Amino acid sequence: MEWKEGHAKSITFIVTKDCQLVCKYCYLVGKNISERMSFETAKQAIDYILSNKDLYSESSVIWDFIGGEPFLEIDLIDKICDYIKIQLYEKQHHWFNSYRFSFSTNGINYHEEKVQNFIRKNHNHLSIGITIDGTQTKHDLNRIYKSGKGSYDDVARNIPLWLQQFPHGGTKVTISSPDIPYIKESVLHLYSLGIKEVNINCVFEDVWQENDDLLFEEQLIQLADVIIDSEYYKEYACSFFTEFIGKPMDKVRENQNWCGAGMMLAVDAAGMFYPCTRFVQYSLRNKKTAIIGNVHEGINQNLLRPYLTLNRCTQSLQECIECEVASGCAWCQGENYDAAETNTIYQRATAICKMHKARVRTNNYYWNKLYRKLELEGQRENFEKKETSVIC
Amino acid sequence: MLQYLVILLDDTSVSYCHYENPKKVKRLISLSDLKAGILFAMKQNLMIQFVYPDYEIPAEYQKEIETIDHHKIAPQKIQLKNADVVVFNSCKEFSTEKTEENKDKIFVLRANGKDVARNVSTFAHDGRLNIIITDIETFTENDFSLYKETLEQLKNTVKEIFLQENSPQVNLLTDRILLEKMNNCNAGIENITLAPNGKFYICPAFYLEDENDTVGNLTNCIDIKNKHLYKLSNAPICQKCDAYQCKRCVWLNRKTTREVNTPSHEQCVVAHLERNASRNLLLDLQQLGAWEDKSIKAIDYFDPFEVKDKF
Amino acid sequence: MKQKVGQVSPEEKNEILALFERRNGLSELAKIVNNDDVLYEKLVTDMGTTTTKFQNWWDRMAAKYQWKGTENGHWEIDFNTNEIYLIVNS
Repeated sequence: MEWKEGHAKSITFIVTKDCQLVCKYCYLVGKNISERMSFETAKQAIDYILSNKDLYSESSVIWDFIGGEPFLEIDLIDKICDYIKIQLYEKQHHWFNSYRFSFSTNGINYHEEKVQNFIRKNHNHLSIGITIDGTQTKHDLNRIYKSGKGSYDDVARNIPLWLQQFPHGGTKVTISSPDIPYIKESVLHLYSLGIKEVNINCVFEDVWQENDDLLFEEQLIQLADVIIDSEYYKEYACSFFTEFIGKPMDKVRENQNWCGAGMMLAVDAAGMFYPCTRFVQYSLRNKKTAIIGNVHEGINQNLLRPYLTLNRCTQSLQECIECEVASGCAWCQGENYDAAETNTIYQRATAICKMHKARVRTNNYYWNKLYRKLELEGQRENFEKKETSVIC
Repeated sequence: MLQYLVILLDDTSVSYCHYENPKKVKRLISLSDLKAGILFAMKQNLMIQFVYPDYEIPAEYQKEIETIDHHKIAPQKIQLKNADVVVFNSCKEFSTEKTEENKDKIFVLRANGKDVARNVSTFAHDGRLNIIITDIETFTENDFSLYKETLEQLKNTVKEIFLQENSPQVNLLTDRILLEKMNNCNAGIENITLAPNGKFYICPAFYLEDENDTVGNLTNCIDIKNKHLYKLSNAPICQKCDAYQCKRCVWLNRKTTREVNTPSHEQCVVAHLERNASRNLLLDLQQLGAWEDKSIKAIDYFDPFEVKDKF
Repeated sequence: MKQKVGQVSPEEKNEILALFERRNGLSELAKIVNNDDVLYEKLVTDMGTTTTKFQNWWDRMAAKYQWKGTENGHWEIDFNTNEIYLIVNS
């Protein structure tokens, strides 16, 4: 579960645009080794944010570090985090009582001493996700080094250490067209590694081939059967199976935007501010970057207005607004912008439509089958009450 | 649904709205494009608005223009006798006009906020006056204060004219009183512009900013991408707003927020200062027994964006 | 052994959550502040104050709700459910 359930301010430092890997599905089309953030730039961004409490009044904050691969810049990150802690305390900022440092890493240098020292130093405030895509075959299909070699072995060896330090650690799995045949075995493989929370998403880009939805449905039905028959559902979670998706949505009460673009803030090595990392040039295939300010002049509030007033209906086709299985159908504001016919964030990309519908069908199957089983076993009520615990 | 076709007769055709026309080199629309534009309007049932430059156009153009019902928008400088809309490019230009002789014409006064503030006492015009503030996007808190004072003075001027049993119309103050729903410019939805290069644009400002930003031509007709974004129903802030007199300029929106459907803070505050001044005028006039069936409610914000969570 | 012994209100939960977070923040800040730093004195005082407030909360709540306890056990709170558990060391 996301810390503070999406109510925290998310501030992302793009510390480097370099990465050891060249994943085939990576949306970062402009990775490079030259754009590394300086401490001075990070400091200016932090100073701006902390001195504008009226603009950033959320009760909590997630300081997010991404790349490329963020842990390539562990020295810089360590310095930035120290600066944040001291500044929060010196300024008696309310975020001192409610902050996290968050990382999405490929896990390759997770075991290195500098990274481990950083983890020990900040353990209570860390949220670290290692991306591992599943079986070696599935992982190495996409997540490869520049040489073409797969990265599975170098990541998998660090999973036990990571889970020892973060027992509730979850991983993100990304599904593109060639990955579909490996979904079931990949999720089960991740469970076998001890990863209890597997968050899977289909890419938003228009990559889907004919019949991909049927293959996808077949894989998910098989996965549902194993999860239920082997009772993985008692301890493990797979984000594909979420009870409250696939329902029609009310035009007024359920009109919120899907993502937090604009409510988040990203800053890059040049000190430019963006509504989210997907609006940085290295994330965009077709469009010009959408800068909303910089560390010297601050945010242009007019440029934020479209993001902060986005809602579901104003950016959706009538077909989507009236869709009978609309709930849970996601979109990415950056991909919407990149794929739009004009320079707008108000044109919802719908490449994912048939995959969502396939997911809804299997999701219905999963919950019908699971609840029937629990009902027959007299366990349904207990299951529905089950909640995760955070202990003090 | 399209209702109007704006035809810019020349690259130097006068601006009658927020945008500036920086072009100095004359380039008349070709006669063949003018004819094709008129034919297009006839087939599509569109009322044409011809926009004139500040020089006399050739006789064959004048003859062609008279082949169809239309409106003429012309700069004051050329003193076009049968103009329907006369454009003044400063308060100074406006002050020299003999307004009494042209009560049936619509006057458009384009001026920046400070110019309007300095000259507002000279705006006593018993006819239709559209005041276009040309520097809204640069307004600061000080400018908002000054504009509020300007509108208060203008309100008193309009009231005085009413007291003389005349019926002045000033877009900034009387439109909101008379309107019961949004009355926006609706470029891209109700009107479209044919430029001198024979191509269609959302409005003249889109053409002057970037000639490549076209939405069609006379051969292949009009194709507006994401057309729905020009509609009020797809403008999250504006669809909840009751500053009905606001032109909701999609060009200014795009210039300031990058989205045609999202107004800037400055645009919203200016529109609400006008709305509130209209309310004050209405309350004053109602004390005199006029417009008793109208009402504008009191509100406690100047920018609907600030109360968006209550929508 | 873990046994549910009570529940606190959301406001009471928020109070202890803030103190819990502050205590964690102070302990990690202490790792990077030297004893010759101007912040050091303030930090030490703050840690003492926060720890006292933290303990006071448990004392206050225990008195208010009269939770069951044992000598070889301690209470824990679930921040998601606001439930209090007695943890008995085995």
